[in-house]
Amino acid sequence: MLATLVTAVVDGLAGSLVRVEVDVAPGIPVTRLVGLPDAALSEARERVRGAIRNAGFEYPASRVTVNLAPADRPKRGAAYDLAIAVGILVASGQVRAGGGSWALLGELSLDGSLQAVSGVLPMVATLVRAGHRRIAVPAANAAEGRLVAGAEVVAVVGLDDAARLVAGPRGRRAAAAALRPAARVSAVDPAGDGQAAPSRPASLVAAVEPVDLADVRGQATARWALEIALAGCHNLLLVGPPGAGKTLLARAIPRLLPPLDDEEALEATVVASVAGLLAGAAGLCRDRPFRAPHHTSSYAALVGGGPRLAPGEVTLAHRGVLFLDELAEFDRDVLDALRQPLEDGSVTIARAAGQVRYPARLQLVAAMNPCRCGFAGDLSRPCRCASGEPERYVRRVSGPLLDRLDLRVEMERVPPAALLEGDPPEGSAVVAARIVAARALARDRNGGVPNALLSGSAILRLGGFDGRARRRLEDVATRQLLTARGVHRLARVARTIADLGGHPGVDEATILAAANLRDPAGRPWELAA
Amino acid sequence: MSGPDERAAWIALAGVDGVGLAYFSTLVGQAGGAAPVLELARRGALGELPAGRRLPRAVHEAIRGAAHDPGRAQAELDQGGVWTITALDATYPPELTGLADPPPVLYGQGDPTTLAAPRRVSVVGTRRPSVLGRALAGAIARQLVELDAVVVSGLAFGIDGVAHAATVAAGGVTIGVIGSGHQRPGPRAHAGLVRDLLARGAVVGELAPHARPTRGTFPRRNRLLSALAQAVIVVEAPTRSGAVNTAHHALEQGKVLFAAPGRPGDRLTAGCLRLLRETEARPLVGLDELVADLADLWPALDPAIPGGRPGPRSGAVPTMSWADALTLLGPAERAVARVVGTGPAGLDRVIATTGLPPATAASATTVLQLRGWVTLVGATYVAAGPLARPP
Repeated sequence: MLATLVTAVVDGLAGSLVRVEVDVAPGIPVTRLVGLPDAALSEARERVRGAIRNAGFEYPASRVTVNLAPADRPKRGAAYDLAIAVGILVASGQVRAGGGSWALLGELSLDGSLQAVSGVLPMVATLVRAGHRRIAVPAANAAEGRLVAGAEVVAVVGLDDAARLVAGPRGRRAAAAALRPAARVSAVDPAGDGQAAPSRPASLVAAVEPVDLADVRGQATARWALEIALAGCHNLLLVGPPGAGKTLLARAIPRLLPPLDDEEALEATVVASVAGLLAGAAGLCRDRPFRAPHHTSSYAALVGGGPRLAPGEVTLAHRGVLFLDELAEFDRDVLDALRQPLEDGSVTIARAAGQVRYPARLQLVAAMNPCRCGFAGDLSRPCRCASGEPERYVRRVSGPLLDRLDLRVEMERVPPAALLEGDPPEGSAVVAARIVAARALARDRNGGVPNALLSGSAILRLGGFDGRARRRLEDVATRQLLTARGVHRLARVARTIADLGGHPGVDEATILAAANLRDPAGRPWELAA
Repeated sequence: MSGPDERAAWIALAGVDGVGLAYFSTLVGQAGGAAPVLELARRGALGELPAGRRLPRAVHEAIRGAAHDPGRAQAELDQGGVWTITALDATYPPELTGLADPPPVLYGQGDPTTLAAPRRVSVVGTRRPSVLGRALAGAIARQLVELDAVVVSGLAFGIDGVAHAATVAAGGVTIGVIGSGHQRPGPRAHAGLVRDLLARGAVVGELAPHARPTRGTFPRRNRLLSALAQAVIVVEAPTRSGAVNTAHHALEQGKVLFAAPGRPGDRLTAGCLRLLRETEARPLVGLDELVADLADLWPALDPAIPGGRPGPRSGAVPTMSWADALTLLGPAERAVARVVGTGPAGLDRVIATTGLPPATAASATTVLQLRGWVTLVGATYVAAGPLARPP
């Protein structure tokens, strides 16, 4: 007997429809899975067999053929388990499909209960678009599935719940009769919402201890540069000895970022869904992403990849901030891979398993020591590195990557006296308000693009530079031997400084202020004297 | 004995691995020239010389190889664009002939006439200087450029690199004296600096282009570093350092020696302080005083520099005072000038002390930088020009 069910696959950030066809026919009892399954999917056979038995059904002692159509598309992951298992139950006559058409998503445990899967949001969206509005998902993914307008998402806890749904009111008795008393699967709850309310809001903000700027003493320049960077989406590099407060300042970033708008929030939530970070979470990702991967992170973790071609940190930071502490300690390959996302706002991962393209429009904030011991250039402590080593250390970050950063701040350690005396500096709320206002000003002027992403010609056309400002821009460019890229970068930073002051135009003093912030691709230490 | 053949033989022999200063002078002395040495070697008869009998086998073979292929040394030079000045040549720097162990051949790149410039000063110091040491080295180099003096240094990291780079940036001429062959002049990180420096200056050394530096080559190089200049300035140097070694060579050679004093107990300037206490090194009190002391050395400096450019002390351009300088500035710049004038300060301190908004403080600091009254060292601003002479 043949049964056909609908489920979905996620490829990159988009979903596509998959039909699960199950044929149970007399013959030698073997189960075959066809249609380009990967390793995790091939193991579905064993999971499904265990789940069917332990949920109180019988695994048919017949020839079982499972086809995943369309057959030419490679399929990954374990989200098909539920559809396969229910298909086997229907095809073997244990459940009569009287409940209408249901799309099924979920991974099975051997005890018949359902596990959360990643990518439910785009998969549900795909199913709804294809007209399959009634969808069963694991309880932990229900909140995420319900974000899609028009979807009728039912949370299921186990295989027997799903069987009941598919059987419908009339078939329910038959299915219930098949349940053995020993089955350890919880019964479906009347609301069809198998689980207690999700415990946390959906978010791509890394779990760092939040810091308020009022608690960051001294570091006036770095605070200023951070404000400029966040207001104009400029990539920022903080250089300073250990204890200067680089990481502290970075931990203040989440509170300074304006929330995502509706469209951005949906994009971020889809990313979180595909990365499998939405299980047990509710709502859209409203907070701007802030990712802080450790410097031992692998290429796959940062850029994306692995057997499932999962999105990496650069994609999780899409529309938000990627903070890389100890930049020079990251693998060179990993750092060089950052160039594509910084350039085109997306990342392409190509593997034997196929190729996917993820969005990665991120803002980079990086921190590093000036040398291995951390004290090169410090006035109060000698650097203990061998001669030439500080230069080599800085060179671990390649020129092309540095050239994609807009601002560089050299931080010094704050003298202990400054930590104790004086009034606390401005708090995060005040600074965040300025950042929001500056971003709004830039958005309206630039047509939605932050200053840092404006093209060279656009910044000079839209920037509102007065005559003296233009002459000063030329003058600084000539004196500092700036390249065209450098001039545009200077103009963009100046534009953001003016935005923070609420000025529609850019005057000469603003250009001079921007010129004081250093170009990260700038001259090495030796030549800075 | 001289002539073109002898000069070629001289270069061929000096370029042989294992033939150092001692072997070279002994062999040439005993045979009566480099060409006879090669002739003997070609016949396998070096043993006829007293020194030849004591030569290690490998060196013996190497000389024979050079004797059979006398053009090889010159070909290597041509390929690397390296010129030579031998002690036989009229252009050989006269300062070197007075040395106990003058190099038989000077290998160089760039402009050889810089070696005969009327004003040459060596600026040396530690490879790992403090921020203030860097600032001082840069300021000294710029001052020397203003005096039309050639800045001589050793192309090493630290003070040397800053002195060269600041000279190049100020449009001056600088000579790098290297302790290795020309195929690797100085650390790899200085390749760009060497390229910039060669546009107007020179790199010279006493080793053949392919020679690898060894333990002894850098200290031996130091005697040239001092000999090729009329005065030597030690900026920052620990007690045991190449810069102190150079200073002692300078004293032996009768050069004028300056040492920048430091605080007692500071490791980085301990060598300078010891030079000041135990030798006739003069303390480097300030740039104006340095110019005055150099004027004693170069009588032509005051009132006017040859070449038509008026010197800073010529009277044509009176030195601007701190008070006059302040009157030329706007209120924000003046506030910043007062902070940096009292000592090196980062932008953080400028903002904290003046109470100016960051954008205003940054803008004012850039104005002072463009005027040349403040220089940036690492992340620290250091007073220069009139701001370096507070009342």
